Amino acid sequence: MKGIVFTEFLEMVEREFSPEIADRLLVGTELASCGIYTSVGTYDHAEMIVLVSRLSRETGIDSHDLMMAFGEYLFRRFKILYPKYFERMNSSFAFLTRIEDYIHVEVHKLYPEAELPTFTYDVPQPGRLVLTYQSTRPFASLAEGLIRGCLAHFGEDADIQVEDLSDGAGTAARFVITQRDTLRE
Amino acid sequence: MSNIQQLERRLERERQARKAAEAIAEEKTRAIYEANVSLQQLNNRLEELVEQRTAELAAARDEAVRASKAKSDFLASMSHELRTPLNAIIGYSEILLDESEDQVQPQVRPDLEKIRGAGRHLLGLINDILDLSKIEAGKMDLFLETFDVAALLDDVQATVRPLMAENGNTFALHRETQLGMLRSDQTKVRQILLNLVSNAAKFTKDGQITLAARRTRLGAGYGVEFEVSDRGIGMTPEQLSRLFQPFSQADASTTRKYGGTGLGLAITRHFCRILGGDVTVASEFGEGSTFNVIVPDNDSNAAIAAPQPVWEQRVVGTVLVVEDGREGAKSLAEPLTQEGYRVIAAAAGADGLRLAREQKPDAIILDVVNPEFDGWTILRLLKTDAELCDIPVILVTVLGDRDMGFALGAAEHLTKPINPKELLRLLARVQRPEITPDVLIVDDDQSTRGMLRRMLVKEGWRVREAANGAEGLEQLARAVPAVMLLDLIMPEVDGFEVLRAVRQTAAWRDIPVVIVTSKDLSRDELEWLRGHAMDVFQKGAYSRAELIAAVRAMVDAARLASSRTVPTDRGEGKDVA
Repeated sequence: MKGIVFTEFLEMVEREFSPEIADRLLVGTELASCGIYTSVGTYDHAEMIVLVSRLSRETGIDSHDLMMAFGEYLFRRFKILYPKYFERMNSSFAFLTRIEDYIHVEVHKLYPEAELPTFTYDVPQPGRLVLTYQSTRPFASLAEGLIRGCLAHFGEDADIQVEDLSDGAGTAARFVITQRDTLRE
Repeated sequence: MSNIQQLERRLERERQARKAAEAIAEEKTRAIYEANVSLQQLNNRLEELVEQRTAELAAARDEAVRASKAKSDFLASMSHELRTPLNAIIGYSEILLDESEDQVQPQVRPDLEKIRGAGRHLLGLINDILDLSKIEAGKMDLFLETFDVAALLDDVQATVRPLMAENGNTFALHRETQLGMLRSDQTKVRQILLNLVSNAAKFTKDGQITLAARRTRLGAGYGVEFEVSDRGIGMTPEQLSRLFQPFSQADASTTRKYGGTGLGLAITRHFCRILGGDVTVASEFGEGSTFNVIVPDNDSNAAIAAPQPVWEQRVVGTVLVVEDGREGAKSLAEPLTQEGYRVIAAAAGADGLRLAREQKPDAIILDVVNPEFDGWTILRLLKTDAELCDIPVILVTVLGDRDMGFALGAAEHLTKPINPKELLRLLARVQRPEITPDVLIVDDDQSTRGMLRRMLVKEGWRVREAANGAEGLEQLARAVPAVMLLDLIMPEVDGFEVLRAVRQTAAWRDIPVVIVTSKDLSRDELEWLRGHAMDVFQKGAYSRAELIAAVRAMVDAARLASSRTVPTDRGEGKDVA
């Protein structure tokens, strides 16, 4: 997992909770990286799971909710860090349908070794997008948070139906995103 | 305290993270550097590859050029190798035919005619194939010159006349009076017309072949339109459609019946198009065919302009014309004065004798056609007068009187109407009768030398031979000939070098040189030769008569030139014209 996910996560913890909590996540855990992350590095994704579950214990908030909240936070950060990917993107659907053939392609150019999830999509009817997440890692919740962050970024109101496709492992999920306007009709 | 420890831990983590980031950055930098190096190498390799491919392509191109040159050289040398022996075959068969007239061997004539016919046919074939291969290789050069269309038509007429007899055909030439000059490739126009007329003669029996010519407007310029029509076998529309394809005649049975290669019309059309014109045909089966050829005039300024003869006014000798009527005297005098002779005229025999004694002319032209006018008496008196008997006399006779004239001592004779060129030629000849013209033949092919020698000796000329260019130059150094016949392709010193040496040496500069070659000449070579030699004969592509006529003209011209050095201060005479 790319280092930026870790550095952004720790910044979020410091900002949303406290520097003390962030410190405790790192000190009290046997991490291969010893809690030293740089955004340009690459680290074992299991460390993220450890960090999230420790945060959950520290705060009493469900891991899934934390992960989703982090996804929404991370999307906002992406807008600031990588404005280039937002050029000519005028809706959430436009953005989400370009993850696979544009954003991931660009990421691969910079980090050829990066292991990225796949997002396939389908538009069964206007105003509805079916996005299927598939990964070797259990980050479906993070993906959901990112989708929500995306909708928020474009100021869109939509209903998201999540269907787990991995027997609770969190490595695959189907997101049925339906714009509210479409629902009302 | 714990707060400070926590900050210290955080600082330590940040420091470690920074170092890790720096290490990654360094690694990335190295990776980028290495990527750059390998890109550079790839680039160099690409350049190398491009260079290598370019070199390969250049080599392939050079090879193709070499192959093309080898093919051209092969064709050129093949043409030379084939034409030389063919020339000997045709030439010797002509000589034998000539001699068989005098000797009692009439039974061999048809055989000799077959040999000559087959030789000419083969030569035509070789020339056609060479022409076609040159056209296909895009190497057919154009040699533009300005020529008199009427003279060209006369020439074509003279060439095709013997062909007409073969199938009992007659030939008619219709031409506008104002055909004028045409700027085009004369040799090709001539070949086009000869091809079409001989074709017409081949496919027509007991009919008339007509060649018509008229000057015509072509867009903004001018051109000449030629029409060759016959009342021969004609063609069906299907036969017409294949007509201009190489190696295709109307059909296979045509080839069996009429012979030929089927190349003539293909070449004709190529030639027409190279000249900027075209050839079209209209034909009806069983009714005959009409070929129409358009040749544009390449002289953009050319309107209809008649040839302008140019001559210098100089006195080259005195000629006494003894003639009964003033008109006749004028027609004789005009060409002579144009050529620079001083002409004195006598209308009566007594005047003629008196003027001959007074003026001591270089030659006398005496009319004996009119029976009222006693030319014969005057001739007898001239030839019995010790003072006058050396003055050559040219008789103007009717044919039957010829022998009598010679018996009485006339040097030459002419028949009416007078051909001015013939008159001048005879005049030049009679003025220096004591010099037997000496012709030098420079040719490495022995049979060609032998054949030329026999032709020339028959005409009463002395002949010297040289087997190569070096020998030729030696012979020139020994004595200056009246005319030199020069081959081009010879070992060691070739004909070009000989000609160059001749034109650069003061004593030899004026020797008329006739090129007799089997070489396939390029445009540049032909142009150079036309500038340095009097005439160019492609071996086999001329008849014996044409060569003899050309050599005779040069011998006469040489005589004329030497006669011009004779002083002409012989007092006053009665000038006409």
